[in-house]
Amino acid sequence: MKIVAVTACTAGIAHTYIVAEKLQKAAEELGHDIKVETQGSAGIENELTAEDIANADVVIYTHDIAIRGASRFAGKKIVDVPISTAMKQPKSLISTIEKKLGK
Amino acid sequence: MPLNDILNTDLIDLNVEGNTKDEVLRYMANVLLKNGYINDAEVFVKDIYEREAEGPTGMGSHISIPHGKSFSVLRNGIMIGKTINPIRWESSMSDDGFQDTHLIFLFCVSADAEFARNHMMLLSELAGKLGNDVRVAKLSKATTKEEILDLILCEDDQLGEAEALEEEEIVDLDIDF
Repeated sequence: MKIVAVTACTAGIAHTYIVAEKLQKAAEELGHDIKVETQGSAGIENELTAEDIANADVVIYTHDIAIRGASRFAGKKIVDVPISTAMKQPKSLISTIEKKLGK
Repeated sequence: MPLNDILNTDLIDLNVEGNTKDEVLRYMANVLLKNGYINDAEVFVKDIYEREAEGPTGMGSHISIPHGKSFSVLRNGIMIGKTINPIRWESSMSDDGFQDTHLIFLFCVSADAEFARNHMMLLSELAGKLGNDVRVAKLSKATTKEEILDLILCEDDQLGEAEALEEEEIVDLDIDF
């Protein structure tokens, strides 16, 4: 499946980026395409384009603070989890989404 | 600017003293003070605790990543400390909410949003590297400054295999769309 994700933690220094990497690795390992946008102290990086979003089967919000630009994802299937879920169980997260979407 | 620019061997300490989280944080803040990265250790530690109050910074594999933004910061950087004693630390990875930490990445970041933004990009790149379980497992076992630096700077595909890698057991999560 094609996944897009956004990560945003409270301080925007560490977890935003660690979790982005964990999601990237977990998705690749399970055979999925993923692009992760980070919203942290370094600003918005790897920003999702309208095309990325349109092509995505699912959107993952991994966050402890509000996601910026959430209106971009209107009408999409969104999975909303706290940072801790993706810190601890990134593969379980991807695998559960895979099962629920049947892709 | 390469990642190496925010790494400073003077900020790697393999013998961090203390028996508690508070003691090691104060020890490390003093190293930052002595090296001109902060101008007030008390204020810096208080700001670190402010972030600590929002959620655990133990990330498993005996590694913790305390961080916070502080106006006491004169220069963005990262202090890496290997503790002499295991330190009980709040963790997002364990069921009881705590872990024993022996390696600490203390992020030293200015509260001024526009301050050294390129350094912030490098720190975020460094943080991202800690999202690799093999790197984290190897860092946890590293015993020299060179080993620590090499593990941080190398690419993912240069990491090789890690012994005793704690693999995630894949389970179904309770999530909805």
